Amino acid sequence: MKNIIATLSASSINDFIISNSWVWPAMEVVHFMGLCLLFGSLLIIDLRVLGFAKAVPLKAVSTFIVAAKIGITFNVITGVLFVIGDPARYFVNVALQIKMILIVIAGLNAMYFTRKVRPKMKTAKKNFKPSFSARLAALVSLVLWTCVIVLGRFIPYGENL
Amino acid sequence: MEFLFFLEDSPLGMAVSGSSLGYLIALSSHALGMAILVGVSLMLAFRAMGFASAIPLIAMAPYWQVALYGFVINLLSGTVLFIGNASSLAINPAFLIKIGFITVGFFTTRLVVKTAFNNKKKKKLTIQNRLLAILAIILWLAALTSGRLIGYVS
Repeated sequence: MKNIIATLSASSINDFIISNSWVWPAMEVVHFMGLCLLFGSLLIIDLRVLGFAKAVPLKAVSTFIVAAKIGITFNVITGVLFVIGDPARYFVNVALQIKMILIVIAGLNAMYFTRKVRPKMKTAKKNFKPSFSARLAALVSLVLWTCVIVLGRFIPYGENL
Repeated sequence: MEFLFFLEDSPLGMAVSGSSLGYLIALSSHALGMAILVGVSLMLAFRAMGFASAIPLIAMAPYWQVALYGFVINLLSGTVLFIGNASSLAINPAFLIKIGFITVGFFTTRLVVKTAFNNKKKKKLTIQNRLLAILAIILWLAALTSGRLIGYVS
């Protein structure tokens, strides 16, 4: 662990981030935009699967997943840069560790949704009701990402939770 | 100014600034409310720009209710956060600019919803719909950016 922290602290990316005062706030802005794209897109899709806005065709609603993909890409990149920029703080942060575990679970849940639920949505006729497991996956997705957002706000203060 | 100090010294103000837990609850609610309000507003604006055209325009209208829940969460959590730090926030330029962008962004998005999604007969988006949606997106990104900068300009 100490070696990783030392290597990252000595890297040129770390140097760039900490020696330019505009970089950190700029990364925060991008990270927040990414979370809005991700969560907004999932609200549209998951709420529809849960039975909200029934006039939206299930067939078409997953088009919005593009926004989630762009959002998560922004956030993985800026997230990694946060860690490189301040490794001594992030590597020992409990809030971040729990957040990462939840993101992995949310990722597995998204894989299940993509493989098992989305094919059925694509061929769904009018009045098709998603199965219980499909609705559960949509609910789990919203709950997990809600926890991820909350835990993200705990990171700056979560050194000794 | 005296009123701002009065707010900070009120029980609620002390609970937010004095306890890290009170502050964290308000702060995380505010992030979640933003994700709902800005996230859904962006998706509505994307549809009003022509994205996901297989979804009927009128079908998107119910999602505005979801965005409004986010707005209420943030009005409440934002008020609590303000009370905890009233005297410095009231003179923080990033905060004042943010409030301006939110106000204009909120009403612009509401107008996007009214003009693009609230008409059963409407099949095609006009250039005005699309331009208004682009404006809404720019305003939300500006609000988000100025909000992030509050901690840097004080």
